[in-house]
Amino acid sequence: MLKKRKLNIIGTPVPKHDGKIRVSGQAVYGHDINLTGMLYGAILRTEHPSAIIEKIDISEALKLEGVECIITADDIDVNNISYKRDHPILKKGEVNCIRDEIAAVAATSKEVAQNAIKLIRVEYKIRKGIYDPIEALEESSPQINKFISGKYKNKNTAEVFKYSHGNIEEEKKKSIVNVSRRFTLPRVTHACMGTSNITAHFDKLSGKLVLYSSTQVPFLYQRDMAHALKMNPSDIRIIQPVIGGGFGSKLDMYPFEPICALLSIKTGKPVQIIYSRQEEFIASPTRQPMIIDIACGADKDGNFTYRDIKIIKDNGAYTSWGATTPFVIMQAFSSLYQVKACKFEATAVYTNNVFAGSFRGYGNPQATFALERIIDLLADKLKISKAEIRLKNANYKNEITGQGLHYETCGHIECLEKVISESNFYNKKNTENGRFRKGIGLASMLHVGGGAKIYRSDGCGTTLKIDPYGYCTIITGSNEIGQGSETVLAMIASEELGIELSKIKVINTDTDIKPWDVGVHASRTSFVAGNSLLGAINILKDKLNNKAKQLLNTENSDFIYQNGMIAIENANEALALDKVVREMHFSEPSELAIASYFYEPLSQFQNKEFKGNVSGTYAFASQAIEVKVDTYTGNIEITNVHTAQDVGKVLNPLLLDGQIHGGILQGIGYAISEEMIYEEGKLLNPNFHNYKLLTASDVPNIHFYPIETNDKQGPYGAKGVGEAPLIPTAAAIANAVCDALDIEVLELPLTPERVLKAINFKK
Amino acid sequence: MQKTEVSKKIKISFELNNRKINMDVKPSSLLLDILRDELGMKGTKPGCNEGECGACTVLINGNAINSCLYLAVNANGKEITTIEGLVKNDGTLDHVQKAIIDNGAVQCGFCTSGMIMSIKSIENYYLSQNNNVKNKKKPNKEEIKKWLEGNLCRCTGYIKIIDAAEKVLINEE
Amino acid sequence: MNFNIEIPASKNELIELLSEYKNKKYRIGAGCTDLIMELRKKPEDDLTVINISQINDEDFNNIKLSNNKIVIGANTNVVKICTNNEVVTNFPTLKEAAQNLASNQIRQVATIGGNICTASPSGDLICALMALKANLEIIDFAGNKRSVSILEFYKGVRITDLKKSEFLSSIEIDLNKVNPKNMYSGFIKIGTRKSMECSVVSLAYHIQLNENYKVISAGLAFGASAPTVIFAYDACDFLINKNITELKNNEIDEFANHILKYASPIDDLRATAWYRKQVLFNISKSILEEFSKTN
Repeated sequence: MLKKRKLNIIGTPVPKHDGKIRVSGQAVYGHDINLTGMLYGAILRTEHPSAIIEKIDISEALKLEGVECIITADDIDVNNISYKRDHPILKKGEVNCIRDEIAAVAATSKEVAQNAIKLIRVEYKIRKGIYDPIEALEESSPQINKFISGKYKNKNTAEVFKYSHGNIEEEKKKSIVNVSRRFTLPRVTHACMGTSNITAHFDKLSGKLVLYSSTQVPFLYQRDMAHALKMNPSDIRIIQPVIGGGFGSKLDMYPFEPICALLSIKTGKPVQIIYSRQEEFIASPTRQPMIIDIACGADKDGNFTYRDIKIIKDNGAYTSWGATTPFVIMQAFSSLYQVKACKFEATAVYTNNVFAGSFRGYGNPQATFALERIIDLLADKLKISKAEIRLKNANYKNEITGQGLHYETCGHIECLEKVISESNFYNKKNTENGRFRKGIGLASMLHVGGGAKIYRSDGCGTTLKIDPYGYCTIITGSNEIGQGSETVLAMIASEELGIELSKIKVINTDTDIKPWDVGVHASRTSFVAGNSLLGAINILKDKLNNKAKQLLNTENSDFIYQNGMIAIENANEALALDKVVREMHFSEPSELAIASYFYEPLSQFQNKEFKGNVSGTYAFASQAIEVKVDTYTGNIEITNVHTAQDVGKVLNPLLLDGQIHGGILQGIGYAISEEMIYEEGKLLNPNFHNYKLLTASDVPNIHFYPIETNDKQGPYGAKGVGEAPLIPTAAAIANAVCDALDIEVLELPLTPERVLKAINFKK
Repeated sequence: MQKTEVSKKIKISFELNNRKINMDVKPSSLLLDILRDELGMKGTKPGCNEGECGACTVLINGNAINSCLYLAVNANGKEITTIEGLVKNDGTLDHVQKAIIDNGAVQCGFCTSGMIMSIKSIENYYLSQNNNVKNKKKPNKEEIKKWLEGNLCRCTGYIKIIDAAEKVLINEE
Repeated sequence: MNFNIEIPASKNELIELLSEYKNKKYRIGAGCTDLIMELRKKPEDDLTVINISQINDEDFNNIKLSNNKIVIGANTNVVKICTNNEVVTNFPTLKEAAQNLASNQIRQVATIGGNICTASPSGDLICALMALKANLEIIDFAGNKRSVSILEFYKGVRITDLKKSEFLSSIEIDLNKVNPKNMYSGFIKIGTRKSMECSVVSLAYHIQLNENYKVISAGLAFGASAPTVIFAYDACDFLINKNITELKNNEIDEFANHILKYASPIDDLRATAWYRKQVLFNISKSILEEFSKTN
């Protein structure tokens, strides 16, 4: 007899569905692909960040045995790439940043390809580059990118985002305290453990191109690739091997990808390009460096009155999706904590630096850093507690913010209260005077939790089938990039259909097979793909229920699915699921146990003023971070991280912890150790030796408190979780360091040297 | 024509995952390249080629080394274990591999092979220390973190990996 | 990266090879962790690597106690240095330096001889061995031996006293004059992270006291703040015969200045000269402050 029960699988710590192949060396990453007759590609990049290319001589390289093809801009008929189409695949006439691609080789071995690259002679006329976005905005500066539409008056402006709500002048009058600062945020990079890679295989007979690519957005990528190569998108098939880390780095298509395709098209053979680690540092995307000017006020009761923000973003030489991060940034300023008036302007400026892309958090860590630092300064001026000022202004359930974000659920207050009490915030007053000083800092964050409607569709398709043996296959548009989406989808199917996890397969790597999805970003996959799967399950269950009704000769269709059986609650008779499927297939009228569903979140496009409810739901988090600073060396030890996050509903605590821990460590790196150091546009630390990812021995205690607000939009009430954990971390750390040392922090990362300088400056 | 120096190849023999291998290698060949490109052991990952990330970690006579900085000629006469060598013939995973899955310690998985080999090396070290000793020594959490310092991971924040190592090295008998 | 290789199986074969290569281009490689990185960046034509890692020689590959000395074979890997009982008990500064060198994987193959001969200005083992006033035994192509103090071994940035056709055979350290409990020895390594750092500043100290906390012997050396690792003679002299528990603040500052005056750091990617000096001064103070705190 089957009985209805509460959730059985959802909410339990199910280990990774695809875990075994990943712990046994069997997972095939792009680096592991070896196709018959495959050639190896290599790319010649510029030696100078800003120069005229006077001559390219490939004659010596062509003579090298094993070289099959060399291409330069003159050899290819292509369109520019990037969403603004301002980025030539191979550069002609000039180079504008140190990652610029000049030529590419396909050869029979990696060594030959590398040797050929060294034999290509390029003559440059070196120009003075512009590496400071403020300088780039000056009238006298030359135009850096020649492909822009001329939409803006300033020749080096790539994008401008303006937003406002409320009456800022009125609010200024009401303010009794005002604080303004300029914050400078560094360039950091994803540093995925697996470097960028692609294998392209063009079949001359059919004219079709297969790309083994680690993109996070296969369907947008297919379209971008087709535009670049002047092909039909459907003639391009994207197959995603296992991805060695994403974090936003694979949201855009970059030149090396169409270059590899072109080498395959020219040679008719498969071609593979794998970045070296140095190349990964130089030529994969980065987080936006920003200069944030912010002015804020509060009234006598500590209510936030206004925020006035001007941001200059260093776009680099070309545009990527990263230029659109103000969509997210302005949300933090307009809608994190209640604020009556907000004026926001962000300008992305072309420079001769490498171009910035999207990176987990999508501009939000920068924005949150500035905002949460200012809140501490306001509290200091008002002489009220840093916890009280936040609680007073925190967001609340059913709030509709000035920007039109509608918080149907909101765990902001609970998050704050939780970390304040768990960290014993009020009693952690820094009174020590010795070499080591302790401090504690608070910060919150707001992020989209149900996708973000910035593309025409923010949806995801699912096809679901059950075979005559009772096994289930989920064909989903979404991708697994390590975050665990396969596991969560398998759990949902298992929960709803009563099929054990080992009988559930997830197919998600091939654009020729899977239905459309906008891609992995915006913390959307569990939410959007989960809802899509639930939609498909409902359709399939209707079919199964009908058959079961017929077989059981009943009018009741309130079936329970458990342990591979279908039955009416408490009924004596139960049917095996596989038998119901077989009856569907093999008795008249024959029908497959298959269903398709496309889920589009209820979110809206924002209007021209960027107002509207852009996400299906919103995630909140607060962190209280404790630090111990060595005043002799400037080293910061993170001792405890308390983090509470409104996740809607915990779907899988094991995988959720993984997202939280990983995000926080990335956030700590952003706060204290990671920085790409450039001199005149050249990267000085393109290696793990000097680009300092934190190690296992740097890991602090992380105390995580999930807050469940059960959003009715989310699958089982869940919200997106992936990006949130790193967003407030740098802000909370900076606040803690200021608490410990009573110094001013205006830039990141807080390297030992910066901290020691600040201590000395105070003296 | 570009002159390509062809150095004389050197004969070496070693045991790879309990299988005897005889092969000729270039003097400058690195173990990582031999394993991946010539012996098909692609579970060992190329992460940085500079001894900083540990993705290419394999065991030489039970000790973890970076195969990207290890001359292939020095494998001569040694026992090498790669991630593939931990799975038994019947498909049973090693308890470290199992602990990594059960503790949610794998996300993208690119660092995982190296991480597992490093945990194996800790286990091997304590096995050798505890040979015929009554009060068996065990590492503490801080020691485990220190042992894993040479394996970078960008996904997990290490905590679950350290948990998995603790399960195997401290809690299991 | 492309090179030929010679793989001697014994010290004698190594000596023979050095004789054979007297007028040819070669590099000696032990663990080869630094050498491979260097040759990848700057490949050399017609190079032979004399790979000494397969030399099967008990003395060359291990640590031994003999005649009030500890003798460490140059081919001893760093793991053995961290775990050897004699080192752990008698020379904490060396143990700590070894333990914080790169990663476990590197320590398995990197050797003490390699660290000494690479002659990095930030070489951690060099720094500790200087504080211990170690002696180096060097053998040439004819088998002749000579001994040189590590304090005299470094001649400039990555330049050593080791001549062509010579190799470093062993490192000798005198045992302490005092009982280990009267010894104050350690190694401070400063970097951004807790692991995997190349020292931004390092300081090795090895101080022996009599029963009344009077300093009877002191060794102090610092790294990464001058063209070579530096032994701070005056700071050592300053401490001799002083009671380490009774130092006043101004004396502690004076001591730190006696170290700092040897520093001539540069600005580089990892830190500015300003930072290195500040920190060297501070951590120099800290060793005396810490002592008073813990005793």
